[in-house]
Amino acid sequence: MNSAQLSNPVDNRTQILLRLLAIWQGLVAAGAAAGILLALVNPGMAVWTKVLFALILALAAVGSAFSVWLILRRDHRGRVLSLVVNYLAFLVCLLYGMQVLGIFLGIDALAGTFGRGLPFLLGLLVGYLVGAFGDRYDNYPQKQRFYRNAGKIIMVVFGAAALVAMGIFQGLYTLVTRFDNPLPFVLLLGAVLFGVMIWAMWRGPTAEVMGAKSTHAEMLNGLLFLSPNLLGFLFFFAGPLLLSLYTSFTNWDAFGTREWIGLDNYAKIFTLDVKPLDYPEQPWPEVLDATRFDELTRVNIFGKAYVLGAADKLFWLALRNTFVFSILAVPLSVIPALFLANLLNSKLPGMKFFRAVYFLPSIAAVVGVALIWQWLYNAAVGYINYAITSVVNFLNMFPGLTLVDPQVRWLSDTHTALLAVVIMAAWQWIGFNTVLFLAGLQNIPGELYEAATVDGAGKWAKFWNVTLPLLAPTTFFVITTAVINALQLFEQVYVLIPTEPPGGPNNATLSLVLYLYQKGFQRFEQGYASAVAWVLFIVIFAVTLIQYSRQRAGTKAYGG
Amino acid sequence: MKFKASSYRLITFIQKALVYIILTAFAYIMLFPFLFMFSTSLKYQTDTFRYPPRLMPMKQQTVEIEGYDKALPLYYVDYEGQRREFALVQTNIRIGTFADPNNPSVLHDRLMEEVEPTGGSENQATLLWDGEEEKLWDVTVNGKVISMVQLSQTAVGRFVDPADPTASVLQNARTSTPVELPTLRPENYSDVTQLQGLDRSLTNTALVTILVVIGQLITSVMGGYALARLRFPGRDQLFVVYLGTIMIPFVVLITPLYQLMVILGWVDKMAALVIPWIFTAYGTFLMRQFFITIPKEIEEAALIDGASRFQILWRIFIPASVPSLAALATFTFLYAWNSFFWPLVIINTGNRLNHVLTLSLSQLRGRAADNANLVMAGAAIAILPPMIIYILAQRFFVESATSSGVKG
Repeated sequence: MNSAQLSNPVDNRTQILLRLLAIWQGLVAAGAAAGILLALVNPGMAVWTKVLFALILALAAVGSAFSVWLILRRDHRGRVLSLVVNYLAFLVCLLYGMQVLGIFLGIDALAGTFGRGLPFLLGLLVGYLVGAFGDRYDNYPQKQRFYRNAGKIIMVVFGAAALVAMGIFQGLYTLVTRFDNPLPFVLLLGAVLFGVMIWAMWRGPTAEVMGAKSTHAEMLNGLLFLSPNLLGFLFFFAGPLLLSLYTSFTNWDAFGTREWIGLDNYAKIFTLDVKPLDYPEQPWPEVLDATRFDELTRVNIFGKAYVLGAADKLFWLALRNTFVFSILAVPLSVIPALFLANLLNSKLPGMKFFRAVYFLPSIAAVVGVALIWQWLYNAAVGYINYAITSVVNFLNMFPGLTLVDPQVRWLSDTHTALLAVVIMAAWQWIGFNTVLFLAGLQNIPGELYEAATVDGAGKWAKFWNVTLPLLAPTTFFVITTAVINALQLFEQVYVLIPTEPPGGPNNATLSLVLYLYQKGFQRFEQGYASAVAWVLFIVIFAVTLIQYSRQRAGTKAYGG
Repeated sequence: MKFKASSYRLITFIQKALVYIILTAFAYIMLFPFLFMFSTSLKYQTDTFRYPPRLMPMKQQTVEIEGYDKALPLYYVDYEGQRREFALVQTNIRIGTFADPNNPSVLHDRLMEEVEPTGGSENQATLLWDGEEEKLWDVTVNGKVISMVQLSQTAVGRFVDPADPTASVLQNARTSTPVELPTLRPENYSDVTQLQGLDRSLTNTALVTILVVIGQLITSVMGGYALARLRFPGRDQLFVVYLGTIMIPFVVLITPLYQLMVILGWVDKMAALVIPWIFTAYGTFLMRQFFITIPKEIEEAALIDGASRFQILWRIFIPASVPSLAALATFTFLYAWNSFFWPLVIINTGNRLNHVLTLSLSQLRGRAADNANLVMAGAAIAILPPMIIYILAQRFFVESATSSGVKG
């Protein structure tokens, strides 16, 4: 021990810094504790934010206090703890400072001037290309260096020009004027202080004194590298997810009211009532409680009529439509895709071209695609009805046939509106599924087919006994993705069939997500919308689980 | 033997031909809506309502004739047994078909201004005809005036020869074939840009997409590297959590994320379109899956040489994973460029300055409901940029689709 200290003496500076760090962590702990008190007595905060703040600050306080003790004992965990607390506090100060200064909202202002800078950004690309051009001269280092430097200069010049064109000076000026109250100063000072403390703890000599090993460095690096993603993910994903669960038990209206109402939202969604009818045409208010229920459907069992009432009729309609859509759209986009992928796998020339063409619809915005199909579906001058009319006329040329042109009013007829959405969605998804199937097919080893040929298997036998079983993982993935997408049907309906409220003629195309949108963002019943969202999530989750277990059972059967 | 070989060749030829026919038919179905979009976006509005529909944008030709203040539309007419191009100078000329009650099988067509009501317009004489009281008209036939009943009436137009305006023909204007030439109307694009402020929407979308792609690449590469290569406690559990959350649909998040935006004051702001989308589990997962395939030896050698982790990531991992990065970038690009639900929720319909393209398009649908040409031009503006990038970098699009699950 003694000899180790002699050979590696702790220099004065590190000693002072470590003492400073211990004091700093003590101060942070005290500050966080004071913050808890302030948060708890603050009348302006909602209960759940109070709890959240107190919890975070308590963690910071305990962590800091504990790290003081550990730092004094030269325990490496103290270094980790101190670094983590200071890093998080640094981020909070920095990001909150940016928020206070309006830097995030500055994107709006940037959007106004961004167009002016765009041509210069193309210059950046040119500079990059010039630099990359130099790579061709691997044997002439001088030429290569020239091109690389020229590329760099072009990029710097155009980058600076782009910044100026986008109004960086104006932006900086606006930023300076925002420093008109102490808060940004305090936050920036905090960020600087925490940053200095991080540096003091991170630097090599301090790490050595604290007994850091290479695994520790790896761990800290790992946390540091993951932190942007993890923290953003927690803040924008995990946090809201929990908030959503909480909201689904409240009656929040997005403005003020937020009362805990327990399971009421879910109860309203699922409450159904079945009552016998005296005669099949009996009006439903005579048997159902008209203040709570609405007629959903009537059924006839053994000559006796019943009426099924629901507390939230639209939810059940939306659920039915969503299911019908999925049951139609998934096979319609998966089966042709499987067929096409098998054709494309036939090693004939030109297959890449067809693959590219089939994939094209899936890169287009659903909004744009829906606008196109809206005109294709046009009852009077649309191509789809024109095609039907042409086919009918052609068939009528055969003697004995007198088909009637249906003249379908695709988007305004309650019977065809959902079908119209199905066709459009399937059209857009086929190419994507084809590409997935094709990739799966190309993973199947060719020897298996050769073996099957030797065994005398025909094309169909090969397809059923070789292709399908080996393609099972791909099929599972394709179907799962398609079902999950289908259950989230929204944009297609919203744009293709514009009704107010959205949902198509007589709610014929009302999907669950559309219903959620109506409830949450048109009537601002956010609590109820959250409950609907969770029901949808459970449905999606259940579908995935069923498919997954089937899939496992299936592969086991094939394996045996 | 020989016969058998040739018939085998024939069968394979037919099979191949069949494959190409089916593939071409599907390709046509896949491409047709886009063809329709581009052709309609270059049409004149009147041309969009034509039935039967056609793809080629056409415009009716007009001609200036002295004595008429407006340009006159040209039609094909039958003139003295020839098919000629005549200009329509007058419409809604009414022609009556008359018949003598005593000789109803012979019909007489006369301009309505050439016939007179029998007995004057004040008290026109009538006749019981087919059980109904019909008015009688004085029609001149071969110089003789006969009282006739009117059987029907049509409206026709008068067409004249542009070269010789005295030569004229009466013909039904609605059933006449107009003289048309293929004519493009690229002004649709500028018109729709002005109508809906699409230029601003376009730069907004570009800005949002660029920021989201860059931000997501940075956080995904860093996070993926940490999850693939750096050991720290809880790493594998975290990875499982990441994997599980990929499955959670966005719709569950939409209400709470909206609430978070309310708290942050980002409602109706473009920050809401950018910042939350920089952090995704999917990108991190994708990069982790790729980084884990890079051999460890290179990294260890660099570490011994004293390289920092950032240097290793920048100098070794990123250059080695350009195709994966490109695949993630294209995936993110498409997602950001095409996203609609979230902008619809977070950006107010009145705040046009913050609209992205998809949002503007959904509004355009209502504003230009009868102008298919303008709507299609708008759709083309939204669809073209991804399409161009797709044509240039097709490989990465396909890779981003397949890397999402099949190969992983």
